[in-house]
Amino acid sequence: MTPRTITELAAALRDGSTTPRTLLDAALAHVDRTEQDLNAYLAVTRELGYMQADAASHMLEEHPDTASPLCGIPMALKDVLCVDGIDTTAGSKILRGFKPPYTSTAVQRLFDAGAVCVGKTNCDEFAMGSSTENSAYGPVGNPWDIERVPGGSSGGSAATVAAGSVPYSLGSDTGGSIRQPAALTGVVGFKPTYGRISRYGLIAFASSLDQIGPFTRTVEDCALVYTTIAGHDPRDSTSDPRAVDDPLASLHAGVAGMRLGIPREYLGEGTEPGVRDAVQAAFRVLEAQGATLQEVSLPSTDVALSVYYIIAPAECSSNLARYDGVRFGSRVERPSLTDTYLQTRGVGFGNEVKRRVMLGTYALSSGYYDAYYRQAQKVRTLVSQEFEAVFKEVDAIVCPTSPSVAFPMGSRDDPLSMYMCDVVTLPANLAGIPGISVPCGFVDGLPVGLQVIAPRFEDARVMRVAHAYEQATDFHAQLSPYASAAA
Amino acid sequence: MTLSRAEVDHVATLARLGLSDAEKDRLLGELEAILDHIERLQRVDTSTLAETAQVGDLVNVLRADVPEAPIGAAAALRNAPATDGSYFVVGAIQGTELDA
Repeated sequence: MTPRTITELAAALRDGSTTPRTLLDAALAHVDRTEQDLNAYLAVTRELGYMQADAASHMLEEHPDTASPLCGIPMALKDVLCVDGIDTTAGSKILRGFKPPYTSTAVQRLFDAGAVCVGKTNCDEFAMGSSTENSAYGPVGNPWDIERVPGGSSGGSAATVAAGSVPYSLGSDTGGSIRQPAALTGVVGFKPTYGRISRYGLIAFASSLDQIGPFTRTVEDCALVYTTIAGHDPRDSTSDPRAVDDPLASLHAGVAGMRLGIPREYLGEGTEPGVRDAVQAAFRVLEAQGATLQEVSLPSTDVALSVYYIIAPAECSSNLARYDGVRFGSRVERPSLTDTYLQTRGVGFGNEVKRRVMLGTYALSSGYYDAYYRQAQKVRTLVSQEFEAVFKEVDAIVCPTSPSVAFPMGSRDDPLSMYMCDVVTLPANLAGIPGISVPCGFVDGLPVGLQVIAPRFEDARVMRVAHAYEQATDFHAQLSPYASAAA
Repeated sequence: MTLSRAEVDHVATLARLGLSDAEKDRLLGELEAILDHIERLQRVDTSTLAETAQVGDLVNVLRADVPEAPIGAAAALRNAPATDGSYFVVGAIQGTELDA
């Protein structure tokens, strides 16, 4: 059986050709077969999954017409999402054995819809990274070539969908951590408008940038997951109370008459030629469907990376102050409290987390605050203004998701070269606008992603453009070796 | 951008990160390279720009002043490295030399 989409599985559950337990059995068996190669999971939640599968069966029997399309369908959660009583480590040693006392809102909404949890997925420690090599629990293999990274930080969530174990998963995106791994593994990955999905129960990295979002095989599935988890939550004070547009209503509207902008800075020198070719071919597909494409300019793209690498580390250094070995997490006991803090954090955090905590603390420290943090906050305003100006000319932006395809493990040991991975994804986080990655080709058998970006709260428009492109091509239907082996 | 080893020590203390000498040496070089790259921020004229602390337009978000059931001591203590059953247990703070 080839991996099926949420839409297909929802139909199969209703025509009686499968059951939630059968789907969970298959997902768990697939995970068992592939984990040795992929290491996509930090915990498999077998017991919780079967409990939810049985509850979903009842929901489908009693309310077949009103049950959510997600009811009875297996899924996986990035290990930065809290689930009551289930191990949640954020890929860090310091949280080994942590069992949250509550469930995050986005996850609770999936559970209420009848979703079946297969497990918690591997990620870069505290979501800091672009390759998932920063996990304290070992790297994740890319299902297209296990010697290569799946991108990051949500590498496990991307890999498990690309491997065909589950039809969808949740990740988090602070500078590209959903879109970039989606591109590198050949699946759909969506970062919504900031404030659309509650961050309650998401382990915080950089609170003004973090958003939860889905990985799926199709844009339609992405819309189904998004509508289930989006919307106001009083438990997150940055959650927006405005009504959520239904992306399914406009999904099939097409791109005829739409104006799409190509930022010239997003196809710069750092873009691999194969990626550029694939994305330019995608532009022609959109043009053939009636969209008007034009070049636009986002002049501050170059400095946006610098803004991000001040603001994200500054917020992380503040957010991670809570890991002090007192209320949760591991503790290294020393005679003095100060030494207990120093050793607990020195032993518990990995290299990239230490680097960012140091960078953020420096940028916020007395004497440097104005030159770094305040200056970065001002340039962040400029980045947003440039997007606003471009969106007066065009309806959406189309561009690569990542300047490169999946790279070999261990090939980017210099921090700056790793940071460059996010150069065309992180501006959307700085501006709080929605972005999606959809498969748009291959270079030597490795997937390439097309990114679509739109103004704030135009999440439905992002999915509409991505869906139009997807329906005109078949890149999303191509399967990684691990997914074809399931056939 | 030159960073001194004393600055690395100072920042590590502020961040309460216990780092080995080897880690500090490595971080000194890495942070210098990152700060060199970030230096380009200083070239942007920001004289007319306001700061962005958050992208949303919500202000003063408050909930109704209605009591809700708390999480409860047992759940709050469940993950603590040390408790006495009702409280978190930590070493004495009094008399501990706090760094400058």
